[in-house]
Amino acid sequence: MSVLLEAFKAIKEKHLEAKRIVEEATAKAEKLKNEAEKKALSVYEEAYKTTQSQAEQKAIDIKRKAVEDAEHELEKFLSNAEDQAERIEAKARKNFKKAVDSVLNMILQ
Amino acid sequence: MESTRVITEMILEEAKKSAEHIIQEAQKSAEETLEKQRQLGVQRASESAQLLLKKAESEIELNKLRNMANAKIKANWVILSKKENWIDKVLNEAKNKLKSLTQSKEYISILEKLIIEAGIILGRKELEVLLNEQDSTLPLKLDDLAKEVSEKTGFKTKLRLSEEKPKVIGGAVVRTVNGKVIMDNTFDDILRRREKDLRFEIAKILF
Repeated sequence: MSVLLEAFKAIKEKHLEAKRIVEEATAKAEKLKNEAEKKALSVYEEAYKTTQSQAEQKAIDIKRKAVEDAEHELEKFLSNAEDQAERIEAKARKNFKKAVDSVLNMILQ
Repeated sequence: MESTRVITEMILEEAKKSAEHIIQEAQKSAEETLEKQRQLGVQRASESAQLLLKKAESEIELNKLRNMANAKIKANWVILSKKENWIDKVLNEAKNKLKSLTQSKEYISILEKLIIEAGIILGRKELEVLLNEQDSTLPLKLDDLAKEVSEKTGFKTKLRLSEEKPKVIGGAVVRTVNGKVIMDNTFDDILRRREKDLRFEIAKILF
């Protein structure tokens, strides 16, 4: 009888210990979840800031590249205009006398 | 006693397994929460980042169009001013040639023609001829010119030289004696009157 009692007692003790282990784990789990909840806002903000800052940098980069491209395009355009102006200059020099004679004819006709 | 030991060990073992499972689940849940928030942050920021990039692209396109438009205006202006410059050079050279012409022998006949032409247009009996200082000294036969005008108009026209001497390159101003009707046939006025046509003609020839 006493052996049986001893066995029940030992089982009850271990049950209590098991209950305590599970309760401690539950408390730890709750703590983990709460910490995660608290950390969530800063994780959100960090991710937001990082993504936003990457986009801002990208915007700066594409603007810088666009400025460089525009400068090249403008140089090319103005160079074409200068070529055109030179052709006009050459043509005008060649036809200058003819134009003066034509004016005189128109005035004196 | 042995069976009791087995049972109690089993109880503890089960409890430890449960505890481990509870903690693992909690860790997983915590990680999921954080990952969810991180993704939400990225997603929200991506929306505003898209707007930011779209705005940057619009600015770039607008700047590009504006710069090109300015460059075109500048280039056109350079070319146009170059053309205008050459047209002015031609007109100035023509003026110089006309000045030289007033020193030549053939000038008298040109001047006479201009006076007759003006006289015919005015078609009056008495007309005054205004010449510049130098041309006033030329041996013009105004009576002969008047006769020629009369033949063309049917009026008996008289021409007389005015004391007034306009400062012009050459040519003549002819007017009625009361000064109310004037025909300006000076080179200066012909150039001024015909400048638009002349510039057009010059441009056609030059370019």
